Amino acid sequence: MNSASRRHGWWLAAAVLLPALAALPFFLPFHRQDFMIFLLLDVMLVVSYRLVTLSGEWSLIHMVLMGCGGYASALLSKRADLLVWLSIPLAALLTAAVALLLSFPLLRMRGFYFLIGSYAAGEAVRLAWKYFVYPFGGPKGLKLIPPLELQLPFLEQPLSFVEPIPFYLLLLVVTCVSLLLLYRLEHSRIGLTLHMVHWQPSLAEAVGVNSWRYRTLAFACGAFFAGLAGALFVHYLGSINPNQFAIGEMLYILVWVIIGGTRTFAGPVIGVVVLSVLNEIFRQYDEWRPAIYGLILLLSMRFLPDGLESLPGRLRGLWRRRVAAAQG
Amino acid sequence: MELVLQSIANALVQSGFFSLWAVGLVLIFGVMGIINFAHGEMVMVGAYTVWLLYAGQGLPFPLALLAAALIVCLLGLCMERFLFQPFRENPLGGLINSIGLLFILQVLAVQIGGLGLMKHVPPAFPGTLELPFEVRIPVQRAVALVVSLGLLAAVGWLLTWTRLGWALRAVSMDREAAALQGISVRRIGMFAMGLGAALAGTAGALMAPLVRVEPYMGHAVIITAFIVAIVGGIGSIRGAVLAAVLYAFFHTFVTTYYSGTLATMLGLFIMLLVLVIKPTGLMGSRLRE
Amino acid sequence: MNRAGGLRIGGDNYKVEFVSYDNEYLPDKALQGMKKLVGEHDVKFVMMLGGDTWPAVQPFATRRKLLTSTLLPSDLSPDAPYHIAPCEVHPIYNVTGVEWMAQNFPELKRAAICAQNDSLGLPSVATYLAAFEAAGIDVVDQNIFDPSTTDFAPVVTSMLASGPDIVCLDTCYADYVNLITEQLFHQGFKGKIISCTFDNYQDVIEKTSKEFVEGFIFQFPDFDDPALRQDFINFKRPKDFYEKFVERHPGQWSAVAWEYASIMDLWKAAAEQAASVEPLAVLEAMKQGGRAPHAFGDASWWGEELWGIDNALVGNWPVVTVRDGRARIEEFRSIPEWWSCYKDLLVKHMEAMGLMHYQQG
Repeated sequence: MNSASRRHGWWLAAAVLLPALAALPFFLPFHRQDFMIFLLLDVMLVVSYRLVTLSGEWSLIHMVLMGCGGYASALLSKRADLLVWLSIPLAALLTAAVALLLSFPLLRMRGFYFLIGSYAAGEAVRLAWKYFVYPFGGPKGLKLIPPLELQLPFLEQPLSFVEPIPFYLLLLVVTCVSLLLLYRLEHSRIGLTLHMVHWQPSLAEAVGVNSWRYRTLAFACGAFFAGLAGALFVHYLGSINPNQFAIGEMLYILVWVIIGGTRTFAGPVIGVVVLSVLNEIFRQYDEWRPAIYGLILLLSMRFLPDGLESLPGRLRGLWRRRVAAAQG
Repeated sequence: MELVLQSIANALVQSGFFSLWAVGLVLIFGVMGIINFAHGEMVMVGAYTVWLLYAGQGLPFPLALLAAALIVCLLGLCMERFLFQPFRENPLGGLINSIGLLFILQVLAVQIGGLGLMKHVPPAFPGTLELPFEVRIPVQRAVALVVSLGLLAAVGWLLTWTRLGWALRAVSMDREAAALQGISVRRIGMFAMGLGAALAGTAGALMAPLVRVEPYMGHAVIITAFIVAIVGGIGSIRGAVLAAVLYAFFHTFVTTYYSGTLATMLGLFIMLLVLVIKPTGLMGSRLRE
Repeated sequence: MNRAGGLRIGGDNYKVEFVSYDNEYLPDKALQGMKKLVGEHDVKFVMMLGGDTWPAVQPFATRRKLLTSTLLPSDLSPDAPYHIAPCEVHPIYNVTGVEWMAQNFPELKRAAICAQNDSLGLPSVATYLAAFEAAGIDVVDQNIFDPSTTDFAPVVTSMLASGPDIVCLDTCYADYVNLITEQLFHQGFKGKIISCTFDNYQDVIEKTSKEFVEGFIFQFPDFDDPALRQDFINFKRPKDFYEKFVERHPGQWSAVAWEYASIMDLWKAAAEQAASVEPLAVLEAMKQGGRAPHAFGDASWWGEELWGIDNALVGNWPVVTVRDGRARIEEFRSIPEWWSCYKDLLVKHMEAMGLMHYQQG
């Protein structure tokens, strides 16, 4: 397939998928709508996480960055009385700024050191939320966070985005735009440079690429979208506390991304969607869930090291070989 | 004065545990270049073994301790064989596998012992040592400290004075050069993993009568072990022990005079600082990729 | 309850179906769970622990007019009229223990408090501070520790350094009470220990000594206690319940073991009286006349001055001590009586810690 027809394929898929996704909640019972909402948020998280992993580094602070966005937007709207429509993008920017600040110590490290460093930095931030009751509310966090509202001329009451369907539709738009931006970013010169920094670090150095700058850029951009997801999340739930962003939740992101595969853009999305749907189906085995996740992780590392995204290609290869064998 | 002396006594006991946790982690990393995220869960398995055998079946405590060391050692060997060895080329692979195992071990602990109240492990050595200046140490803690020190001394002796120890250090310095010298990197890896795991299991077993034995107890262990290992210079056993003692004193005194949350938070900051300023830590000599 | 014939409405017996959902103490899981319980099972009444998960659930539950109960009345607010605390009004009943201690051991004057830093520990600290002040006891040390603490030796050392003759364990989690008491024993504490709960006290006796634990004051009886056989107790056949529970879950009897059963009793009585299981009808029947049968005797709906709404059921609460290695009720004391004398003190301490309903958020 050449690239032009591949691009057409993508557009076609989007043209079918998007209206379907937009219509979906109207056909779901109300208690399943939340599932879709949290799934979209998770999609934003894993795709933004992938941007950070492009340069070959694995961070453990992504979940805490999501929390940063949540806390920032909650504080801006609640304590500074900022309009929620402004506090959300501002919170995302603030999260990117926090990431930028953290990148000075963190991105001096590589590989294992970066992993542990990001973990330590994340825990330190989380403990700070617990320790400083003002302004973060301490261990019980913040509540009564103002919701998103929109005054429409033809409605008597403002449209409240605490209702699942309006929030879902808004989130769908935000997610799509974010994915588009992230996709463009990856396929721009910046993204290609990041690939080079990962796979051919000495070549990158030889042609004069300042890899630190590109890694910082990826880290801050990833943080921006994590912060955006966090900010949206907090205005939907109306409350936030430090335990929501503990390392256990971060490990789930890691599992989703790894099981999905990180080579292509779609990999992490496939991972999070497949595992979340499985999760819903096997709800009654909830207490076994972490173990099932663990087992799937071990098995996929062993037998599907490139993730679920590589499954179609592998099956195709198998099929071709069988056909060839039959013909031969 | 009493407060300071009592705090020193508290910190000494802590140092023993911190060292055992960190030395196991450092040994595994130093030799194989793998971060074992499930290290805290190995400690947990050790504690659960003591709970099952000593508190449940009435086995004498020293026997249960030995059993815990053996079982966790066996677990470590299985991990090395099935989770780490196949991923020698990809250091993150081992790490991710250990995360998978961590989830499984936690759920198994929940299934075996349930959630709810902590598992009751009565002290094997009741009573309190009353030292001068009103300093008091529970006998169980004193025993744990002595056993930890003994184990650390034994590991130190092994690494410095035996052929096995030399081989192990050779592998951790340069794997390829060691292989050229005719050292079986594979067998040394197995040995390091078994030893590191046994240390973790022993630590868990010794702690069982003293702390909350519950499925998620590994979390606190792994944070502390990371801080200690990084500050000491990852890969350096001596550095780990030195850092463990320093961190135990720091943590105990900040907790006594200020607050525990602050102590952990500052500990993490110190670790970050070390990572930025001197990533090789107190005693480490070079970076590893 | 179903074995006793279930719910009786209009001459017919109905079985009550119980459905559960584990929210992992995460707000988003709690919201999903609550919606699932309503959407899939059409539940009429939800009992939750409350705390950090409640704020996320509140808007949905209130909009749906769902009847929900909590064990932590700090969840109550005027914005949530269908959220009730019908059993345990934590932590206000802790004042009864302090009052009893001050009366029986007037020579004890210096207290040290420790608590974990969370939504269970902090309101309790405010309550104990008020109770100690009311009883004329000085608080010489306050030690707020992190919930992830594993070694309590430094916490105890720091408390004992202030030379207290009372150590107050606040509403520490059962495991912390266990470990802190053990440390107090080893570090040679000779005074009195007072705590909200003392769940696994048999284990603690095994770790320390019977003499050391003797006289430990707390607030939650074992339900085979003879004092619960008195007429004003509304909990039905407490001894049978206790024995059955201990048989089914050995070693797991805890402060809250009986509470969901007690809340169900209240709900059942109200549903039968209302001849309906619809939330609003049941709530109205429950609150009729401002009084309702609480496990420890008839009690009144109260709370306006603390949480802005009278949705907490308070009356008498037992003061329990360890006597000869068993938990035994010393006395039932009235919470409203203490409140009417010292409410200014409690409000003062709650305000100082930012815990009043108008300060929340």
